[in-house]
Amino acid sequence: MATMSQPALTRREVLEKCIALGTVAIASSYSAGAMAAAFAEQEKRPRKPTPPNDLGPFYKKRAPQTALLRAPGDPGMPLTVSGQVFNTRGDALSNAVVEVWQTDHLGHYDLDGYRYRGKLVVDSSAAYKFDSVMPGHYPDRVCQHVHYLVTAPGHKPLITQLYFATDPVFEGDPDHNFTRDPLIHSRELVRPVMLTGDPHDVLAAVRFELALELL
Amino acid sequence: MRRWLAFSGTVLLLLPALFAQSLKLEKTISSPADAPVQFTAVSAKGDLIAGACKDGRVRLWSFPSGELRQVLDLKDEKISGVWFSNDGSLLAVGGTRGSVKIWQLPLGKLKLEFRAAGQVDALAISPNRELLALVPSSESASPAELWDLTVGKEVTELPAKFGGSLALAFSPDSQRLAVADADTEIRIFEAQTGAIRATNDDFLLEIFAVAFSADGKSIFAGGADKTISVMDAASGKVTGTFPKQAFVVQQLQTSHDGKFLAAAYFDETNMRNPAPVLIWNIATQKVQSTILQPDVTPNGGGFVPDGRLLLTSSSGNMLKVWSAR
Repeated sequence: MATMSQPALTRREVLEKCIALGTVAIASSYSAGAMAAAFAEQEKRPRKPTPPNDLGPFYKKRAPQTALLRAPGDPGMPLTVSGQVFNTRGDALSNAVVEVWQTDHLGHYDLDGYRYRGKLVVDSSAAYKFDSVMPGHYPDRVCQHVHYLVTAPGHKPLITQLYFATDPVFEGDPDHNFTRDPLIHSRELVRPVMLTGDPHDVLAAVRFELALELL
Repeated sequence: MRRWLAFSGTVLLLLPALFAQSLKLEKTISSPADAPVQFTAVSAKGDLIAGACKDGRVRLWSFPSGELRQVLDLKDEKISGVWFSNDGSLLAVGGTRGSVKIWQLPLGKLKLEFRAAGQVDALAISPNRELLALVPSSESASPAELWDLTVGKEVTELPAKFGGSLALAFSPDSQRLAVADADTEIRIFEAQTGAIRATNDDFLLEIFAVAFSADGKSIFAGGADKTISVMDAASGKVTGTFPKQAFVVQQLQTSHDGKFLAAAYFDETNMRNPAPVLIWNIATQKVQSTILQPDVTPNGGGFVPDGRLLLTSSSGNMLKVWSAR
């Protein structure tokens, strides 16, 4: 299993870090921020829309705006999910809103309150990140998953789900076994899991980029 | 999940049934050995039972005689649902790839066929038999569809903000159509045109079932919040709620005399666990009967004119028809 110290950076973040570290020099009268933005614009590439997936029966609206879905002491493997929201032209959608909801580590949805539910406002580079726990399995669904509802003005709402390549159901081979959950129609939704930390304090990190279709 | 009483569990827990209403076995009907009944629809008159069988066919039996009347199918498509019109003169069958066929009864003559945008998860025929509304399910969350049965054409689509729709019902006078959408809103449309007349966005969780009261003035709505809400059919505003239960509401049906409301529930932590069917007294908002029998997993049902609630269950290729009051 690959390890890394933090989730991958966006191209723009990499460039900004390079500028800060002096590995990239800006020879221009424009600011570093403006140059980084221009770099990101030129790096822009069309993206395939993220495959949609079922909304599921337990969406709950008016979730609190929070990126911290797990509470101190919550059982289960800590999980951090991050990504960026684009459209299919490759524009970063800095006005996107990402709603996520999932079960606790035992596979139970909170219908009375908002545990493991959150509304995320992306930052200026359209990046999002939330801290949670690895969702559990439950009898009527095969795989662990996190639900997503992503909206942005001028774009079709995206309803999808994130799955984990480490899910025991896949037996280590999601390429061949992802259809064991009949609701998974696209391998793209099964994301690699990176373990960070140390053996006494393991954290699962997942990167999930999202691309919305224009209206 | 979205189908009337479509519990498919095989593992049943022995729950205390101290207050449970005993079911009376009315009839046992056998289907071919390779074609057990998966789910059923019961006509409002109680004289017909349509069973979607594992061999991909719908068998139509007379009740209470149990005589086989018709065998219908969608050709090469699995059946996702069967629905009668209120007067029992039409039978609609929906498929997993969007096929819809409507047969005229009692002759079993095909009246109309068309294709919806996806698997037909819910369907209703207006009491005047002029309109049909359905909920297709697809990954692209297709909107509910409104069809004119008199000319066989789609009138319009009824889009939600996102996620498609879950349940729908026509008013008794065929003038209104209530649709419960995945965005948790309930929208009330003018049935003939699909023009929006009222919207309720008070619900936080999804509504899985809607039913009009017999006088058409109220709409009952139930879902993941485990309550049944009473809405004013004109304004869409919630005017009351029945006591919350431990289970999620899956389906609702009003009795012919308008006094009772049957509610089928499921256990959201495990749909294979048994969950009750409750008969509510609408006036008192109290439970009249609790139907929870460990050896009976209902797979269809409906009120009949004499006030009984008929429920069906399958055991191998035997379809059992039960009644409760």
